[in-house]
Amino acid sequence: MPRIELINVSKRWGSFVGVDHLNLVIEDNEFITLLGPSGCGKTTTLRMIAGLETPTEGKIIIGDTVVFDSQEGINLSPAKRDIGFLFQNYALWPHMTVYKNIAFGLENLKWKKEDIANRVDEVCKMLKIEQFKDRYPAELSGGQQQRVAIARTLAPNPKVLFMDEPLSNLDAKLRGEMRTELKRLHKDTGSTFVYVTHDQLEAMTLATRICLIETGVLQQYDPPLTVYNRPANLFVADFVGNPTMNFIKSKAVILDPRTVDLDVYGVKVRFHAEQDVQLNSEDVVLGIRPEFLDINKKGKIQGRAFAALPAGMETTVKIELGGNLLSSVKFGAVNYKTDETIHFDIVGDGIILFDALSKRNVSLGSVEIL
Amino acid sequence: MIEAIKQKEALIKSLSSQKDIFNKIRKYSALGLVVSLILAFIFMFVLRPLGTGLFILTLVIVVAVGVLSLLDYIWKCRIKGAEDSHRRLIYDFEHPDHPLVDEKVNIVRKALNSVKNFFSKPSNIIVFVFAIVLSIMVLFPLGKLFLNTFQVGTRDETRLINEEWGTSLSMGDWTLLNWPMLLFPKSKDYASWSLSFFWKPLGNSVAMSLLACTIAVVFGGAFAWLITRSNIPCKKFISTVFIFPYIMPSWSLAMFWENFFKNSASAQSPGVGMLQSMTRWMTASGVGICAPEWLIYGLIPTAICLGMHYAPFAYILIGGILRNMDANLEEAATILKASKFKILRRITLPIVAPAMISTILLVFSSSLSTFTVPDKLRFSSISITLRSLLSTAGFKRMGYVVAVILMIFSILILTLNNWFTKSRRNFTTVSGKSGQITKTDLKKAKWPIAVFAIILVIFTSIVPLLSFVLESLEENSGDLSTLTLKYWTSSQQFDSFIASKNISTQGVFHNSAIWGAFGRSIIVAVFVALIAGTCGILIGYAVSKNRRGKLANFVSSVAFLPYLIPALSFGAVYYSLIKIPAFSFLDISTTTKQASAVGICIIIGMVKFLPFASRTGTNAMLQVSGEIEEAAVITGCPWHKRMTRILFPIQKSSFISGYLLPFISCMREYTLFILVTSEVTLITNVLQYFTKNGLGQLANAINLLIVVFVIGANFLVNKLTGASIDKGIGG
Repeated sequence: MPRIELINVSKRWGSFVGVDHLNLVIEDNEFITLLGPSGCGKTTTLRMIAGLETPTEGKIIIGDTVVFDSQEGINLSPAKRDIGFLFQNYALWPHMTVYKNIAFGLENLKWKKEDIANRVDEVCKMLKIEQFKDRYPAELSGGQQQRVAIARTLAPNPKVLFMDEPLSNLDAKLRGEMRTELKRLHKDTGSTFVYVTHDQLEAMTLATRICLIETGVLQQYDPPLTVYNRPANLFVADFVGNPTMNFIKSKAVILDPRTVDLDVYGVKVRFHAEQDVQLNSEDVVLGIRPEFLDINKKGKIQGRAFAALPAGMETTVKIELGGNLLSSVKFGAVNYKTDETIHFDIVGDGIILFDALSKRNVSLGSVEIL
Repeated sequence: MIEAIKQKEALIKSLSSQKDIFNKIRKYSALGLVVSLILAFIFMFVLRPLGTGLFILTLVIVVAVGVLSLLDYIWKCRIKGAEDSHRRLIYDFEHPDHPLVDEKVNIVRKALNSVKNFFSKPSNIIVFVFAIVLSIMVLFPLGKLFLNTFQVGTRDETRLINEEWGTSLSMGDWTLLNWPMLLFPKSKDYASWSLSFFWKPLGNSVAMSLLACTIAVVFGGAFAWLITRSNIPCKKFISTVFIFPYIMPSWSLAMFWENFFKNSASAQSPGVGMLQSMTRWMTASGVGICAPEWLIYGLIPTAICLGMHYAPFAYILIGGILRNMDANLEEAATILKASKFKILRRITLPIVAPAMISTILLVFSSSLSTFTVPDKLRFSSISITLRSLLSTAGFKRMGYVVAVILMIFSILILTLNNWFTKSRRNFTTVSGKSGQITKTDLKKAKWPIAVFAIILVIFTSIVPLLSFVLESLEENSGDLSTLTLKYWTSSQQFDSFIASKNISTQGVFHNSAIWGAFGRSIIVAVFVALIAGTCGILIGYAVSKNRRGKLANFVSSVAFLPYLIPALSFGAVYYSLIKIPAFSFLDISTTTKQASAVGICIIIGMVKFLPFASRTGTNAMLQVSGEIEEAAVITGCPWHKRMTRILFPIQKSSFISGYLLPFISCMREYTLFILVTSEVTLITNVLQYFTKNGLGQLANAINLLIVVFVIGANFLVNKLTGASIDKGIGG
């Protein structure tokens, strides 16, 4: 069964580095999202696995076959890799009907006529587009085109399915529906899905594992909740989560390997780490998720309400502390008056200490206010 | 670790600043190189020793630039190396758990693999093949032509040069003297010859081209605006008929002009024209209105005819931009309370400025080299000088010099064009569709303007056709009482002298010379269209797939190069080539076989019209998103099937325009083939030959045939496939 392995894969254009020594193992039947800001190399990575782009160096293995090896000069064409690819703009052929679009790939595989007809019917039923079979792509709405594109990709029963930001052209409501259907489809087809997106919510909700990339370098490759709770470095911590994590620059005073004294915008705190702390210098960054800033009347820290943004289910509160802004999230619609005094605590054991120089996650821990 | 990273950063910074210094010096030396080369050339003819000194200086600068380029390259590599290790250090610093492993590189194997990879893509094979083919077919002849100007070729040339400069060159020697011989001769006789035969025609041509540009842009631009941006009635009719003059052969308007204005008062003109015969009743003497000489022949009519011929070209280019221009740009100005006129002046015009400049420059370069129109309207232009130099023994090499000068003009013009469009590209971006353009209401002026426009297009497009019909029916030109069908139906020879040379001068329907030539013209046009159109699609495909590739860019610019080379110079290039013994079988003057002439015409036509086809092909391919093809690649669809089943059907009409354009251009081309054909090879040859020999009726009939055929073909293809000539140019 297909297990995809990338070994030291790089892609360069002249002196520009698109992907830098990427090592990645995608297990069978996984749903992987390649996540990162635009231009980080995630689409390039996907296209290299699919064979649409040739890596500068490295080795790619799908199942038991080496599909690319720069040393050996192996480079299998996309057609021989037994994959499906769903394009961002669907890439439906405008001069063919929906039926022809889906059947075209099967014709290339030299399927029998009746087999083709049966299979097209089957995928059309699965994606609820039977009534559009004789229409041209231009006569369909965005969501319908999306379904046709998925049907076309699924028709030859690919073992691996690649998707390049397939939902980015849909409106918010439709995107939500398609997300549910994709997750269901992953279950039903039993194929391996590799999915590119820049939308962290999409990545969090769909994936079994997230592969976070920045400027061509792999940042973290873990299940969504691990990525959220235990980000490997500052970039991951900043990229994942909405509202974003609060970052507080500070100087660290190490008391013992697991206890560090810090200064949070004028408030002295003590950080109790869950593992021994090793730092490159005394410069550190304390990362606190908004949900760990607990606003309550008895809170030990006193700040000022800068703005409250109620969204119905939860309210984001911007707190001003010593001239800096912190975000906090409170369940339910709570309104604070601007400039009102707010008391809050730093709670939980998911507070993260980062090394400011190497930007790496040093340890998780809890904070005690002195 | 951190120390090492910081060190590397400092190293990169210092290396970059050093590289900048090299670059700066190199830039200034390149400038100095050009200046000193020009000065050297000038002083070579005036103050020899200084000239020689400057030449040596030039050589020194060349060496210096070379060294600097080498240094620049070495520094580039050093910077790259430093950046690589910098990146590595950072990577290791941020990922201490999995450090990078060095890959063992076998250089030979890597090179072989990359070659194998390169040729595994069809687009790369196409690029590679075309790079070779185009180098042979375009660059090699051009280089050959250029080198030819530095050689004395024949005995006559050698004698002339030795007499003039007191040298003792022998045949085949290399010399710079061909250039000063034409440009700055020593003796008085030659000086006045050079003035009247080179400098004056050059000035004439420049003046004519400037005037023609102005006319083309003013008319084309005005019509483009009226059609796309106003509520003028009869749009469809005006826009269809307006482009006729561009489809017609360029001399048609000139022929019509002569037919219309020629009169008995002019000593030069043959017969009586339409204007005079129609106004006979108006004047008391019964002579009719006689246009003055300057209105029939010379600068003014030549410029007007050329301007009207190229006006549709301006119309298509400017109209294309106006049509695709984002209406929001103008609407934004409307909301800010700008008046209609102010919007036109401050928003619309600046946006179409690049298209206008493009048109001006392209019309300028085409007019400069046009031969038939000034020839017809007896205006001594540089192209006529070129033609006569090339066909006079002893002056051929000087003809090549003129060809090179014309080419330099065009290349300068294109460089200028690129410079303009590049620096302005950021605001010419046409975005999407602008369906809801608010069209200017012409109000009361609506109908007068429409009537004026209709009269104008009828006069430039339909009346010429009528005049050709009339002229082919009148025994005495302009005399309606002598109407006869004999020039079409009679089997009598109208000119016994020409007939004695085995060229039929019978009525059109019986004329073997005309129909033979017509057939050959169609053969040439069909083959040229098929080859050029297909090559254009292939080049378009390959270029759109390798937009960053150096080789692809090379192919795309070399494929465009023939556009810059004036048709006559282009003919000269191949003319000089068929004078090489190896190619003598293509030479019409040594073999009388028309087949060889047809062969060379197909080759020349294909190369010359490739730019149209490759531009159309590239534009069409760029419009198709890469994903469309990749979606087929994934399903295992082979390349030829992708081309025929996916790409071609999607862009069918654009591609067919890419075939249509070379076909039409080829059908009406004369100047390009003039040097390599006999008087009866192509239909245009016959036309010119009959005109020269006083068989005006037959000439007009032939012209009518060509125009009707070309317009008919255009119309048919348009109706059948939706492709049209304006799509090809404007696209």
